[in-house]
Amino acid sequence: MSVPEVKEKWSGGVTAVTLGATKAEGGTRGSTVTIGGQTGIPFLNFDGETPHPPAIALDVLDKEPAGWPPPLADVYGDVWSDPAAWAARVKQLGADLVNLRLVSTHPDEGDRSADEAVATVKAVLEAVDLPLIIWGCDVPAKDQVVMPKVAEAAQGENCLLGAVIEDEYRTLTAAAQAYGHKLIALSPCDINKSKQVNILISDMGYPLQDIVVYPSTASLGYGMEYIYSILERGRLAALSGDRLMAQPVFLDVGYESWRAKEARSGDEMADTWGPAAERGPAWEAVTATDLLQGGADLLAMRHPKAMEAVRMAVGQLLGE
Amino acid sequence: MIIFSERVNGMYRDVRKAINEKDERIVQDLVREQVAGGADVMDINLGPTKGDPVENFVWLAQTVHAATDRPLSLDSAKPHVLVAAMPRVRAALPDTKLIINSSTAAPEAMGQLIPVAAEQGAGIIGLTMDQEGVPGNVEKRVECGATFLMTAMESGITPEDIYLDPIILPVNVAQKQPANVMEAIRQLAIVSDPPPHFILGLSNVSQQCLMRNLLNRTYLVMSIAAGLDAAIMDAADKELVEAAISAEVLLDKQLYSDDYLKAWRMQKGLH
Repeated sequence: MSVPEVKEKWSGGVTAVTLGATKAEGGTRGSTVTIGGQTGIPFLNFDGETPHPPAIALDVLDKEPAGWPPPLADVYGDVWSDPAAWAARVKQLGADLVNLRLVSTHPDEGDRSADEAVATVKAVLEAVDLPLIIWGCDVPAKDQVVMPKVAEAAQGENCLLGAVIEDEYRTLTAAAQAYGHKLIALSPCDINKSKQVNILISDMGYPLQDIVVYPSTASLGYGMEYIYSILERGRLAALSGDRLMAQPVFLDVGYESWRAKEARSGDEMADTWGPAAERGPAWEAVTATDLLQGGADLLAMRHPKAMEAVRMAVGQLLGE
Repeated sequence: MIIFSERVNGMYRDVRKAINEKDERIVQDLVREQVAGGADVMDINLGPTKGDPVENFVWLAQTVHAATDRPLSLDSAKPHVLVAAMPRVRAALPDTKLIINSSTAAPEAMGQLIPVAAEQGAGIIGLTMDQEGVPGNVEKRVECGATFLMTAMESGITPEDIYLDPIILPVNVAQKQPANVMEAIRQLAIVSDPPPHFILGLSNVSQQCLMRNLLNRTYLVMSIAAGLDAAIMDAADKELVEAAISAEVLLDKQLYSDDYLKAWRMQKGLH
């Protein structure tokens, strides 16, 4: 019996976005990371090319995290009061990028100033030569003060800045444009808004090919299927030639996975759920590998064991 | 939606005069207006102009191409003119996608034009009629359309280069035909996978009618719902174009966003 031909003929593809800049490119990074570029359904190697496997950034916070469970404390506890040392740790663990979150600029988390944030970013840039993703604190009024200064301080490094939303996009877009950074466009679980945000940013003259979209994230057991279907629809639109949906996708897997009680709770649950040291990383790895098959290109993660498991799965899915 | 601009047609007095007098500016101003409105393909038709039609086609194709690099569709009801003009236009514009508009499903017409399209790597529009004229019913349209499709595919032309035109007649003389055309599209769409394109010379539906723009717009939306994905139409008619884009959004052929009209223009590189 012959096997029916299921290869689709796609007219579009996912944009390839390069993050970081080496000395030759005007920055100080040791190497760059390129994401996206696919021309077919994720991991169907007969359907199209996957020139760049999904990249993984590990989280670094700019202050000691509150409430990270023991499996994460075991990995980062000795360095997490110093973002530069923490960044050096994630490089040592094999991350492709550093996902730096300036949480301490939040009015309720220390309300650190823009100058302090700049000092942190500079320290991290000096400590490691990986490309950087940099986030504000999710309070638009504060981010509008902090992020332009951060963008200026990191000029030339071709960072990825997060995140613009439909109601607040002008300041960060202008900063990314002025200082040569890439941009994350966030539209929580709403594919139509995702397209709209890209239109708005593009209308300001920011290039569509420099945008990474972030449809928000949900972990295994907490509505992951909603995000999965958004990823699928977005990827199909990209492959069908919709240039406003062709951007590679960022997912915040670490943060969402470690909010799940199945990942967080300790060995008091070991009898029924297994040991905490394995359960949390497994929860994160399964969330990541599932979502990757919907179509994602850049993951922020936390546990090195989860990162390794995802890389192994990706290697197998790509037939490497 | 693949928009074929209908405007560079010698049936229009300004274009006829331009062709007769070889006035490039008139043609190119029209082309720019049509492309700015969203035209994907420039249909060129000499109409009742003076001189050698093949030379006129070459001049008109080069004149249009100087204003846009969009594909050209060579529009004539005379197969021998198209057979003679195609290689000449191809030689003058080696990198431009060409489409033959059109052949009927009559064996003689297909025998002349399909080999030319296959040889030149051109698209081809097939009218769902044969030597007996335009069918009044659905069945004969489907029969002619299927015959044309199969003949073209057997010659190695892929469905993406084949456009079936089920021929719309003016509603004031043939009021059953708009519905028949839509039904023919529905039936022909399942003949091959992937299906060919479906195209209409849209403004024919409203010939000699009073409410021309409204009829064109309404019928375009209706036939898009039946499966039409191309039309020979006035790309500078903003309401017409925007109705077509809206129809495609409502049919989930384009992803909705609040600025979907702007999104459509951005996709085409228009501002």
